[in-house]
Amino acid sequence: MIDIIINEWTKFLRNSVFVYLNVFFIFSLIFVVYLGILQNNSQETNRKIVEDEVREQWDNLEPMNPHSAAHYGSYAFKPMNLLNGLDGGVNDITGNVIKLEGHVQNEILFSEASQSLSISKFGKLKSSILLQIIIPLIIIFLGYSSIINDKKTGVLKLLVVEGLMLRKIIFGKSLSIWLYGLLLLFLTIIIQIFSTSSFESLNRLILIIISYSLYYYILAGLALYFSSIFKNNTTSLSIVMCLWIVWTIFIPKLWGNTVEKVYPLPSRQVFKDNMKEERSKGIDGHNPYDKRRDILKEKFLNQYNVDSLSQLPLNFDGIVMQADEEYGNQIWDKYFGKNYHILEKQKKLFQISGIVNPFSSLQSLSMGFAGTDMMHHLDFLKSAEDYRRYFIKELNDQHAYGGSKTGDWKWTVDSLYFRSVKKYDYKSAKIFDKINYYSIDIICLLLWFVAVNSLIFFINRKKNIL
Amino acid sequence: MLSEFDHFKRSPFKIFSLLLYTIAIIYGCQNGYTLYKKHNLEISNIKTKISDSQSKMMKTFDDIESGSIEKPRRDPTTPYWAVRNTSTYSFKYPSKLMVFSIGQAEQYGYYKYITNWSTVFDEDLAHEIANPERLAIGTIDYNFIFLYLTPILLIILLFNIGGLEKDLKFENLILLNNISKNWWIFSRFSFYYVLNSILIICCLLFYVFRLEFDEANFNYFLNLFFIICIYLLCWFAIFYTINIFGNGSLDQSIKMVSIWLIFCIVIPGSIHQASSIKYPTNYMLDYLNVSREKSNEIFSLSSDSLNKKLMNSYKFLKSSTHAKDSIVSKSIINRSVSAIINDLNKNVNYQIESKNEKKNKFINSFNIFNPVTFCQNKINKIAETDYYSYKKYRFQIQSKIDDQINMILLDTWNKIKINKIKYLQYIDELK
Repeated sequence: MIDIIINEWTKFLRNSVFVYLNVFFIFSLIFVVYLGILQNNSQETNRKIVEDEVREQWDNLEPMNPHSAAHYGSYAFKPMNLLNGLDGGVNDITGNVIKLEGHVQNEILFSEASQSLSISKFGKLKSSILLQIIIPLIIIFLGYSSIINDKKTGVLKLLVVEGLMLRKIIFGKSLSIWLYGLLLLFLTIIIQIFSTSSFESLNRLILIIISYSLYYYILAGLALYFSSIFKNNTTSLSIVMCLWIVWTIFIPKLWGNTVEKVYPLPSRQVFKDNMKEERSKGIDGHNPYDKRRDILKEKFLNQYNVDSLSQLPLNFDGIVMQADEEYGNQIWDKYFGKNYHILEKQKKLFQISGIVNPFSSLQSLSMGFAGTDMMHHLDFLKSAEDYRRYFIKELNDQHAYGGSKTGDWKWTVDSLYFRSVKKYDYKSAKIFDKINYYSIDIICLLLWFVAVNSLIFFINRKKNIL
Repeated sequence: MLSEFDHFKRSPFKIFSLLLYTIAIIYGCQNGYTLYKKHNLEISNIKTKISDSQSKMMKTFDDIESGSIEKPRRDPTTPYWAVRNTSTYSFKYPSKLMVFSIGQAEQYGYYKYITNWSTVFDEDLAHEIANPERLAIGTIDYNFIFLYLTPILLIILLFNIGGLEKDLKFENLILLNNISKNWWIFSRFSFYYVLNSILIICCLLFYVFRLEFDEANFNYFLNLFFIICIYLLCWFAIFYTINIFGNGSLDQSIKMVSIWLIFCIVIPGSIHQASSIKYPTNYMLDYLNVSREKSNEIFSLSSDSLNKKLMNSYKFLKSSTHAKDSIVSKSIINRSVSAIINDLNKNVNYQIESKNEKKNKFINSFNIFNPVTFCQNKINKIAETDYYSYKKYRFQIQSKIDDQINMILLDTWNKIKINKIKYLQYIDELK
């Protein structure tokens, strides 16, 4: 087997055009990886500047009523994962900023895609494009004619006569092409490692290596398989190229659209109207004539055994605001929860296409392990909402229990208090906490790996092949 | 050309590919058609809601006038709340040509509720709720099929023209018949050019008739078809050159695929990446500052200062009833503050649009090397689904915000009481 691999590599290296093209490609690859890191770092720097400025404004707020401060609000800026430079995933499409304020749960805004003309339908030229589209094509070009040429020159017969098993030859050649893909993959990852120091990123990179290795093996094996069963190069190349086009371009888009039709999401208008209607059934913090407010008032008066709000040792307005928030949170959990559930179902259905398309599994794993897929995005949104709840509760509690009396809207807190409110600090989810979301993709890739090996292993029509 | 038809007939692989391509075109157009219908349906639903809300408001006016109800907390007889209750929306009506290009339509909102506090970057102007992974992978629309998959179909149809003869080593035999090689390949290519153009026009015309295009839309459609013909011609020219100098089917197919990769993936991807490095994602700090920090500063100003600011910015207020009063009314000023914030927002919008314009200029400066993106944006423009169509929509929104503010200012400062007739007048003016 090792002899076959060495022999194949010697053949590759003897071809000067191949060597020159590779040198050029490797330099391009290094450059692309570097640009990915550069873009990521520049965006992250930009984000930090904006985040710091916004926090500074909060820290230096003029004395203000806590409820006014809740309206003043805060912002959560979506951080760029270190591996965003490797695979941008959904980051260009989703927004980057959420306003966190009282009474309302805002949506994430200002996506990069909405800030300019449309450019590339396949995304930025990041490592992921090279790893998912270009390197597989090179693997196909290296593999489609490998056995056919040996058949034409009689080398294959000679090898079989010498006692080598046909399947061993095909495995050996597949491995040699796979190793070439692996070499380029490692090169990419090594450069990426230089910009990464965290243990979590290393874990993710290892998983990325495994996923891509499996996909490259599947492609190399299939190219070699078709090369062994077809008699001419044109047919072999046509079939593998067709597969590549269908896998890379057609199925992901086609299935992506289908999935949204199978599990439809509500329109924004319907979604907002339903939420608004349900929200209107709760306490309205700003409506003094609200009946539910009266019920809460009675409850507090009884609890403290007093006759009027002015006798309460707390500010009842803060209590009402928090009750309004808590009711709103339940509505948010219900409606956004439903949407997230639909999105998760869509994701699962999309992942199932991995049974016929290993590229879909690879794409999903690549985004997932890079921390830039939908699941990670939803994780960020949930964390931002959790922080909003903490932030508003802090302010409402201060309003209620900080020492003011009901109706005293002129009561203020100073910047010392504002500084004591914790800063929003999002840490991307750990990959092993999320790994179950990717189990379908992993299983599909493994199934393809087994299927390709079986195809090669059970090649027994030696006469036809030779 | 006719003999090429015989070649084509005998190649099931080519026929199958062409069939698949036809299905893809229809699927792409159907996706556009579905989105077009969905947008129209959503707009029509909102219009029903607006109409219901306005009828309810008119009943409230009747009830107030007849004395059967007390004035609500948000009193609609004041200009401020009357304008707020007009249920004003701004819509971006989809063009019928959206069927051929969804473009950037899924990245923006197409309806917006307008109040005097609205801005063109509000969260209700975000795109429809959608799966972000699906958006990132992209939708198959006709524009995508045409720009990215047509070259692949052409590779399948053309890769062995002149190459097969070289593979089988009887190319010289053909040339012995006094045929010019260039003319021979050109004739064969012409067959596929005509075939492709006819196929595309037939598929597209089906949707033109289905949607009953008027003259203006039909003229846009002719522009689109012109782009299609030129784009096809460019790819045929490239592949023709490859086949003239090719060394057989394999050599030609590999070169063709490489050219496709360069023009469809590598160049657009590189420009995308370069534009992101040069112009990183805008976190809209200026806008955030206005909606928070600067608004807060305005709110903390005294009524006298705000009164001065308003009269300086809106000269027509100087002749209003309130301007002639010796005492500044706090409630009138409070209801007018949105005008000052709107001015700040307009300045910020201008800066943000200028930044985006710089990025667009940068992208467009590569058009000569990046014909695919160039054509993509041209088609999006025809279908009114490009960045600039949505920029125009943002201007339309801003103009409606300005109209509302002017109405509020004028009638609040002139202390006008609103009745049903005046309310109907508001609705009419804000349509």
